[in-house]
Amino acid sequence: MSNDHDHDHAHGHRPPAPMVEEISDFEALEIAVRELSIEKGLFTAEDHRRFTEFAEHIGPTPAARMVAKAWLDPEYKKLCLTDAIKASFAVGVDWLNPTGFGTPSDYTDLRVLEDTPTRHHVVVCTLCSCYPRPILGFQPEWYRTPNYRRRLVRWPRQVLAEFGLSLPAEVEVRVEDSNQKCRFIVMPVRPAGTDGWTEDQLTEIVTRDCLIGVALPKPGKTSNIKLPVHHAVNPAHPH
Amino acid sequence: MTDAAMKNAPAGSAAAAANWSPIPLLEGIKEQGRVWGDLAGQYGVENPDPPWKTSLEGMCDVLAEGQCALPPLERRWEEDEMSESIYKDVPFPERQLLALAHSLIKRGLVSEGDLANRIKQVHERLTAA
Amino acid sequence: MSHDRTHHAHIATGKGDPQCFKGTAGPAKFKAGDKVRIKNMPDIFYTRTMMYTRGAVGEVAVATHESPVPEDEAWGHVDKSEWFYIVRFRQQDLWPEYPVAFPNDTLQTEFSERWLEAV
Repeated sequence: MSNDHDHDHAHGHRPPAPMVEEISDFEALEIAVRELSIEKGLFTAEDHRRFTEFAEHIGPTPAARMVAKAWLDPEYKKLCLTDAIKASFAVGVDWLNPTGFGTPSDYTDLRVLEDTPTRHHVVVCTLCSCYPRPILGFQPEWYRTPNYRRRLVRWPRQVLAEFGLSLPAEVEVRVEDSNQKCRFIVMPVRPAGTDGWTEDQLTEIVTRDCLIGVALPKPGKTSNIKLPVHHAVNPAHPH
Repeated sequence: MTDAAMKNAPAGSAAAAANWSPIPLLEGIKEQGRVWGDLAGQYGVENPDPPWKTSLEGMCDVLAEGQCALPPLERRWEEDEMSESIYKDVPFPERQLLALAHSLIKRGLVSEGDLANRIKQVHERLTAA
Repeated sequence: MSHDRTHHAHIATGKGDPQCFKGTAGPAKFKAGDKVRIKNMPDIFYTRTMMYTRGAVGEVAVATHESPVPEDEAWGHVDKSEWFYIVRFRQQDLWPEYPVAFPNDTLQTEFSERWLEAV
């Protein structure tokens, strides 16, 4: 902090990060629902805070790092395939968080699906969009939609093609419908062009889309697909 | 809950969608509320998610724990049905928030009247600050 | 329909769910490689066995864990457990219109033991 202060004195103040300066109806709705729920005893503020902090700390990097480590270390890879919950500790994830027994929608049975040159996995939850949040963060919006959930099990190659992924006919596309307590991530095949790469470099190309199975890792590709956003419901009012 | 929801199929039938009568308070928010995509664009904020998203997810989780006031599968099926009917054009996660509020009101866990009053108080409280 | 999961904290803390049910279901009826058919049992109210698998024949990929079944768990009845299995199907066997150009494609999903019968 003191470094920033000195820096500002030396070079002038940096502009503050932009912030939204109005309270939207949605923001007020969220607060109101939460406060009323707590007052009605549906949950306690403390329990809610615990789950909110969990939500704030999860993201896809641990799962990416798990795959990168497995690519570099055959023993760790074996652990990922036989006891992924235990393997999660090595990337900083304890599936028992934040309650001491896991969350009500993630449970504590992670499985890693190993791709081979002749088999590619892709994950869906047709029932409701279950997802390995502790190690992968939140589901992308498209994963939650009935559109993805209904179609992937039935026309997987068509859906994958919409993500830009086309696989040869002889490759087995294996869909995992995660409908019970197990949660799944895909371990893709390590791509060509990554010889001598560090764990950090490899982690960067194992994107969330690769871990779900709708993309393959590639040197230089570090971002996920951007699907069309809904039209703005109420465009910005002129000021 | 509809037969389709009970039989575990994701929502989509016209019958399922027809079950959802609009709740005036939430319709008003839907029509007038400014979604994060608009707000972030206007103010130049790069975060793809609104600041209340993690609190919303916290609520969905905590409602599924303990006394389990709103079981997650039911909540998600109802959200699916509402996403294909009354909240069809609402972006995410505003859609998830409206669906949650709707499910809670429909179950009688919170009342529309109480919610309306609290929203007003929240606005007053936050704009006075 | 709701149930109280406060009991859950007592049995699962430090172990996790489904780990807290380990050893409660008795011997597994099926093992990897067994051919099974998915029964089409009437759903009284709640099930996680998808309609698209009913009547299909597949192969057990792995026995995953023991747990109360979702049909019971939804009502808070967690005193009985069953073994769960990932069962793998050929897509050709699940969907009549699945393109024959992709004969190797598969789908796998999880079932509790009561839904499976030996073929």
